Amino acid sequence: MRRALLFAAIACVLVYSAMGTSLAAEKVTLNVWSSPDNADALHDLATQYTKQNPDVKIQVTPLSWEFLYPKILQDVATGTGAFDVTTWDVMTAGAVAKGMVDLQEFRKAHPEAADPDYDWNDYDKMIWKTWGVWNGVNIGLPFYPASMLFFYRKDYFEDPKIKVKFKAKYGRELTIPKTWEETIQIAEFFTRKYNSDSPTEYGIALMFPRTHTLFYMYPIFFAPYRRSAEGISKFGEVNPDYGDYFTHDGKPAFNTREGVKAINIMKKLMSYAPDPLGSDYGETLEYFSNGTVAMVPQWFGVWASFVASEKLKPIEKTVGVANMPGGHPVSGGWALGLNKASNHKIEAFKFMQFATNKNNDKYKFLKYGLTPARISTTKDPKVQNADARMDVFAEALAKASHRPRIPEEPKLEDVAVNVLSGILMGSIDPEEGLNRIAKEWIKILED
Amino acid sequence: MQTCYKASAWLMAIPLLVLFLGFTIYPFFYMIGISFTNCNLSAWEVPKWVGLKNYATIFDDLVAAGSVEFTILLVLIAVPLEMLLGLFVAFLIDDVVGESFWRSIVVLPMMIPPVVAGIAWKMLYNFQYGPVNYFLSFFGIHRISWLGDPVMARVGVIIADVWQWTPFVFLVLYSGLQSVPQDLIEAASVDGASRWHTIRYVHLPVIRPLVWVVLIIRLVDVLKLFDIVYMVTFGGPGSATHTISYYIYKVGLSFGWDIGYASALSVLLLIAVVLLTNVLIRVLNVRQLLGL
Repeated sequence: MRRALLFAAIACVLVYSAMGTSLAAEKVTLNVWSSPDNADALHDLATQYTKQNPDVKIQVTPLSWEFLYPKILQDVATGTGAFDVTTWDVMTAGAVAKGMVDLQEFRKAHPEAADPDYDWNDYDKMIWKTWGVWNGVNIGLPFYPASMLFFYRKDYFEDPKIKVKFKAKYGRELTIPKTWEETIQIAEFFTRKYNSDSPTEYGIALMFPRTHTLFYMYPIFFAPYRRSAEGISKFGEVNPDYGDYFTHDGKPAFNTREGVKAINIMKKLMSYAPDPLGSDYGETLEYFSNGTVAMVPQWFGVWASFVASEKLKPIEKTVGVANMPGGHPVSGGWALGLNKASNHKIEAFKFMQFATNKNNDKYKFLKYGLTPARISTTKDPKVQNADARMDVFAEALAKASHRPRIPEEPKLEDVAVNVLSGILMGSIDPEEGLNRIAKEWIKILED
Repeated sequence: MQTCYKASAWLMAIPLLVLFLGFTIYPFFYMIGISFTNCNLSAWEVPKWVGLKNYATIFDDLVAAGSVEFTILLVLIAVPLEMLLGLFVAFLIDDVVGESFWRSIVVLPMMIPPVVAGIAWKMLYNFQYGPVNYFLSFFGIHRISWLGDPVMARVGVIIADVWQWTPFVFLVLYSGLQSVPQDLIEAASVDGASRWHTIRYVHLPVIRPLVWVVLIIRLVDVLKLFDIVYMVTFGGPGSATHTISYYIYKVGLSFGWDIGYASALSVLLLIAVVLLTNVLIRVLNVRQLLGL
């Protein structure tokens, strides 16, 4: 009797396991790696997608930039297929391209996976080329094409008393800065050390830490020189793959008089910023949200943090948004890529189309503040009137400077950040430092 | 019977041996081999033999030199501080009222995962809102840029390491103090020895082998320091707080993907650790002290 019961129990376990296995086999689990700024929106879209497609489970894993990039490169190099879909940073296009599926070819090979309602022509050409294509191959779908913007305290800039004091001190009106030289003056005015009446302790929040942040901060100071008429005649038009750091024919452009000028402006501004070398993205958000500074260059997507700040309420009266002084912010943002090593390419591609279709492009902007990637979204009246960022977004994106997107980018970045950081802290002479970066870059590119 | 016993012993040991060979010995020799090639994961090419080129490059590499310099600083400053503080706290807590309570409090930092500790220290060091600068302001010290100034960033990493690993030194030495024979202490007392003399002539000689052992463990650990640097300073500003391990990570896995060069750096680090450990073991006569 006991033996019969034992056999029955084992049989039950085996049948149950077999059922479980067959049920599990029908379900597909997609692993989606995401940068933190995209994670909430992707998680929301994944939940919606699973509701519509119960046989597809989507696991969204947020990973910090410093962690996500090496992990993607690791998987690209080893082909282990640890993720199915990932957000890749626009500047890493060349480095990650080898591991991403050519989506145009994929659509041709798998017409059953293509969404018939997906409007492929609804992308602005520049956005499609920058956030979707590398070397002529469609390696991603634009998800969050961003640029940096210039946020300032509108209430202070429009305060008549402050304006009078500014005019008395500098002999000109207090206006939103158009150049970095004007920004230096305004930053000094809003720094209590130099103006005891300043409503803020510091003029501007700057993030010059020894991370990839510094690599995207330098171009916003260098691009105004690089892209001026003089700069274009000296360096040639900007090659989008090599970006503003390079001449048109792929040689370093920054180890020049213009490059030194740019870094000297950065050094001058540092006097009016709280701990610029020790502050990164999060710290500068805090400084602006808490009213410590009057101005901050930041990414498009930080609006939600400012909206949540008690000290910035009501935000429409306290925070203004403008294009970057000098006119050339830096481009950034993310695309969705499909891993060549994925075992669920069709399901993953379907989800990618869902996450980037017209409806969800608008949805992720209105709910999560992620920049629209589609023309239809930017023209939507609800989007246009959503907040102050949309007034300057088109101009900022069109004039944005670029970092290099070539495969050697990771090495170039590390070399540059190390020396730029040394120059800013005063341990390396600017000219010598920029020459050192250029020399090492040439060596890396030749190797 | 004897054969059967031996066979079963081998059978039980084989899984562990396979794991050890597969995950320690093989990668070790693989690393040595690959350090003589130009293996680069981002190149997507079969690695080619380059001889000693990777090793020669190390001597021209300014960041590698800076990393060695900061690692040596850590060895020279953090380790002695940890040893002294650990020893001091061990004596301080020994035999005081509420000893077990204080013991639990002192070992807390060691229980916190280094990554969490790193995040906490980064917040503590915040220039504008950090508690460290707030506390210092009571003494009239103006805000310090703990993460933006190269000297202070180094000091910051040293403080974080000392905070986290002094408890380890304390724990080992404290356990040593518990094993000091009571009759020796009583004999010293009967002979009229002061507290200081008892510590110097009774406690310290008894726990000396443990002091050397914990010193060697901490030296090896500091040479491998990575997590605190990664979480608190990210090696900056500039390359001021790069340690050798952190630099190897960057060269091999983070930005460079230069596995050949990273392996050469790892081999040199390994040689340095082995040499230092062996020299210390011989100089301090640790084997004899431990009765080995």
